[in-house]
Amino acid sequence: MAGDAADLGRSGRPRFTANGVWRGAVEIAPIAAFIIPFGIAFGVAASAKGVPAEISLLMSVAIYAGASQFAALDLWYAPLPLATLALTVLAVNARHILLGAVLAPWLLQVPIVRRLAALVLLSDANFAQAMAARERGEMDAGILFGSGLAMWVTWIVGTSAGVLAGSLLGDLSRFGFDAVMVTYFAAIIVGQWKGVLDLFPWIGAAAVAVIGAHVLPAGWHIIAGALTGGVIGAWRHGE
Amino acid sequence: MVSEATAIGAVLLLMLVTIATRVGGVWIMSYVAITPRIEAFLKYMATSVLIAIVAPATLNASARIWVAVAAAVIVMVATRSALGAMLVGTALAALGRAFGI
Repeated sequence: MAGDAADLGRSGRPRFTANGVWRGAVEIAPIAAFIIPFGIAFGVAASAKGVPAEISLLMSVAIYAGASQFAALDLWYAPLPLATLALTVLAVNARHILLGAVLAPWLLQVPIVRRLAALVLLSDANFAQAMAARERGEMDAGILFGSGLAMWVTWIVGTSAGVLAGSLLGDLSRFGFDAVMVTYFAAIIVGQWKGVLDLFPWIGAAAVAVIGAHVLPAGWHIIAGALTGGVIGAWRHGE
Repeated sequence: MVSEATAIGAVLLLMLVTIATRVGGVWIMSYVAITPRIEAFLKYMATSVLIAIVAPATLNASARIWVAVAAAVIVMVATRSALGAMLVGTALAALGRAFGI
């Protein structure tokens, strides 16, 4: 009985069960559908950058973090700047550390292998869903893994479609696809706007990045801008 | 050209970095508390890295990319839809290309 099983998950001690995994996957399905267009956009943008299909696909399978994959495309040239790539991806994905910290009181009560399973496919969307479930009294951390799994598969399917489209369409700037990454990032940035207090760190990040692009070795303006914004933000808001 | 082996190695490196951020929060919390200052730093750094990519990339690109980014910002403010903003911006960039801007 699905109803009984769901009730079972919403009482007692923190745990991680197959039933939780299944419920997590089913509950996130409507949201997961919305990441397909972003997966397509990534596949197309990677093709436009000349990244081979199998490498684009491997990125989505192994990294599975959209914004950082787009950022990596910006640094994808020969010879690959490995340190800059790693630091940029670290900076874009540093917010995962906060999501994990919020989940810690719950997950630290689950055995370590299952705790790692719940975390390894963590994303903004399944974190939000899991926190909403937790509010309703959900104790089963399996829902994190289930929802992560559903999102991961959807992201890979979207990327595959985008890579295929990119390889069939030829010169992609004709379709404006060279604008995909900057417009997507611009939209995310605007979505993060909380008020006039954000202005200072944001302008600092932009100014250092623009100047750094002229005076620093390739790619390092991104690290310099990210650290500038982070430090100004911590200085002004860390009270 | 980036060789296949280098590319695979780089992706695996980026995978390890990303997994570290995913499991790192719970791991750190089993030792110390994340202070409001550290939280503010991580939050602002996450947005700032995107700003640090977009600002120079847009300034150094052609006018059709400026139009695309401006349109994406306007659509995002008006609708809060990142997908809509991306689609409108991309369509305008394609139009700009068609008209040779």
